[in-house]
Amino acid sequence: MAGPISMVTRHQAGRRATAESPPVKVVLIGVVLLFFGLFLAMPLVVVFHEAFKRGAAVFVSSFTDRYTMDAIRLTLIVAAIAVPLNTIFGLAAAWAITRFHFRGKTMLTSLIDLPLWVSPVIGGLIYVLLFGRQGWFGPWLQANDIRIIFAVPGIVLATTFVTFPYVARGLIPLMQAQGSAEEEAAATLGANGWQIFLRVTIPKIKWGLLYGIILCNARAMGEFGAVSVVSGHIRGKTNTMPLHIEILYNEYQFSAAFAVSSLLAILALVTLVLKSIAEWHATRQLEAGARAGEPQS
Amino acid sequence: MSIELHKISKTFGKFPAVKQADLVVQTGELVALLGPSGSGKTTILRIIAGLEFPEAGAVSFEGVDVTGISAYKRRAGFVFQSYALFNHLTIFENIAFGLRVLPRAKRPPQNEISNKVESLLDAVQLSGLGKRLPVQLSGGQRQRVAFARALAIEPRVLLLDEPFGALDAKVRKELRRWLRAFHEKTHLTTLFVTHDQDEAFEVADRVVIIDRGTVQQAGTPDEVRNQPANAFVRDFLDLS
Amino acid sequence: MGYTWIYLGIIVLLPFAGLVLKTGTMGWEDFWKAVSSPQVVASYKVSFGISFLAALTNGVFGFLAAWVLVRYDFPGRKLLDAITDLPFALPTAVAGIALTALYAPNEWIGQFFSPYGIKISFTLIGVYIALTFIGLPFVVRTLQPVMADLSVEVEEASATLGAGRWQTFWRVIFPSLLPSLLTGVTLAYGRAVGEFGSVVFISGNLPFKTEITPLMIISKLESYDYNGAAAIGFVMLAASFVIVLASNALQGWDARRRGQA
Repeated sequence: MAGPISMVTRHQAGRRATAESPPVKVVLIGVVLLFFGLFLAMPLVVVFHEAFKRGAAVFVSSFTDRYTMDAIRLTLIVAAIAVPLNTIFGLAAAWAITRFHFRGKTMLTSLIDLPLWVSPVIGGLIYVLLFGRQGWFGPWLQANDIRIIFAVPGIVLATTFVTFPYVARGLIPLMQAQGSAEEEAAATLGANGWQIFLRVTIPKIKWGLLYGIILCNARAMGEFGAVSVVSGHIRGKTNTMPLHIEILYNEYQFSAAFAVSSLLAILALVTLVLKSIAEWHATRQLEAGARAGEPQS
Repeated sequence: MSIELHKISKTFGKFPAVKQADLVVQTGELVALLGPSGSGKTTILRIIAGLEFPEAGAVSFEGVDVTGISAYKRRAGFVFQSYALFNHLTIFENIAFGLRVLPRAKRPPQNEISNKVESLLDAVQLSGLGKRLPVQLSGGQRQRVAFARALAIEPRVLLLDEPFGALDAKVRKELRRWLRAFHEKTHLTTLFVTHDQDEAFEVADRVVIIDRGTVQQAGTPDEVRNQPANAFVRDFLDLS
Repeated sequence: MGYTWIYLGIIVLLPFAGLVLKTGTMGWEDFWKAVSSPQVVASYKVSFGISFLAALTNGVFGFLAAWVLVRYDFPGRKLLDAITDLPFALPTAVAGIALTALYAPNEWIGQFFSPYGIKISFTLIGVYIALTFIGLPFVVRTLQPVMADLSVEVEEASATLGAGRWQTFWRVIFPSLLPSLLTGVTLAYGRAVGEFGSVVFISGNLPFKTEITPLMIISKLESYDYNGAAAIGFVMLAASFVIVLASNALQGWDARRRGQA
């Protein structure tokens, strides 16, 4: 009948039958932490260390340089143009893709992903080929004294190209998961297109939208490859922050280079934090919606 | 191979799932563990299988204590309600799995494995479907594969967790009959969990009724029906 | 709707048409000369070859990272999860100079290796490290949702059938994760091949040794060889196209395997 009562210890009772043994777990976690520390954390640490290596005074003086201020200003201007444009595009594209059926939908979706696949240098190349001196529109532009390449408009174009997917990609999965039931209800209540959009859709997608904008902005401010091609590297005129960092570095002004870099690094960290928050809210919103029994189309 | 549970207790966090449960399944018996959802019956089954470990109490097979032995050494065949088939393997490979993972010393040669799998496919009436993938089979067929897979290791006991729960009524009836017939032939000690009393009464030699982690009554279907031990049993079985 | 297409048209299609047409007008001979010159070919080996090694590394460590993040709980897990996206959020130029500083002979990590005569900056090793940095998030983020979705019961079934932990992993868990792993590695590869900012600093751009293909495009442009630049650009575009197709095919295979096609 019943065998001897064996008192199983608490520790053993908690053990799951399908988990790795504790030593294995510890080793795996350790390896991952080591890898991340080495590859991811250290570069970040280096930026700040090098920026402040020669003291806070040197750090601050890096920013009083006129060209540095110009670079910062240009970066902000470019982002201020590219991000809103891409946001509008992202909204329009996400709306089109998730609400309509049309031929070429898959093509549109693939097209949207295009800049993510292509080297940023190609992102710059294509505009140079179009608008550069030997480009398609080159002669015409020269004749009319319009400068795109090696001038700010070119930088804006290139940056816009590289970052346009982000808002759309942040919105599409969210809008697909949410469904259009609420919009349809609003329509039956007599709201017109714009009203539906502003009063119903935007509140629903606000976290996904924020997520996309944050990423778009981070990439826009940090873009290097594409802008490098179209910019001409003219100090004070066509240098963005990343390009300016390159110049400072190549001139062995390391502290200054890292000082400016630290600004962008802080932007990156803020981006990561905001991104996590936005993601968390977006998932919560989705789950709350599902719990409330809203029909998901 | 008999199963004995002696004063088994298991708590999940703050929730006491099983409280001092005693249970005996005689060799060759087919016993149903019957009770409402959340009564702890699945937990008891998993403890017998070695998928959970109790805080107190002992599990023995034929008098030998197996409480501390991990699932992969216990040789208790388990069939899940959700089948838990390996979707990336063919039906044949699913059934052969238990034989392929045997330590080299005990692993049978390929042709022996083949024969075994083929005969099991016959036993569950799925001959010829060996090369298919689980995703290509119906629910009832997948459940039969799960059976065959568990039987391939020549288990000491067979444990079924609401095996027919996910199937529609007609398939359920067929499989119930099949299980009973199969048990008549093999007399493998079998314990199955269900919340469906018709199923329990139709298939099992003995029924054990569980509520809130404790055994309420254990007996043959007739015994339980005619002499319900307490109010819960009366209510649960809807006897007036 | 209309806005979408117009926008796309101006920003994307027109410029790309320009690229393709430019290449088309070049004539086969010129095209071939541009894309197969020894220096350019050397850059292919660097860009495509080292990216491959980096993507493989990311496959291994990204898999481990995703596993640890999804299945284990430990102090700092959330932090680790957030920092995974760092290569994605950090501007490539910043990453570039940081990595260079980190591995320069007298600095931080580089100093451990210089006594042995191993140089990291200005060598392919440096390129490899930069490309590994860049691709890590892709593998981790692709694997995480799939790992989270794995059914516990399947692992339990494997245990009841007598499989030890390693056997269960190798025969049951890993095969079901393989398609996603390959997808992630492909994504990391595609990204690494085109990467510019993070690599140009640490690579030193030594001709025939550590030049990457995007750099070749830039140097052609700087010498006003628009044709040459377009030609190489075309090759890179074609390669990206193939990589995208491969990735989509893998994702389709994965979806079919899990019965979701």
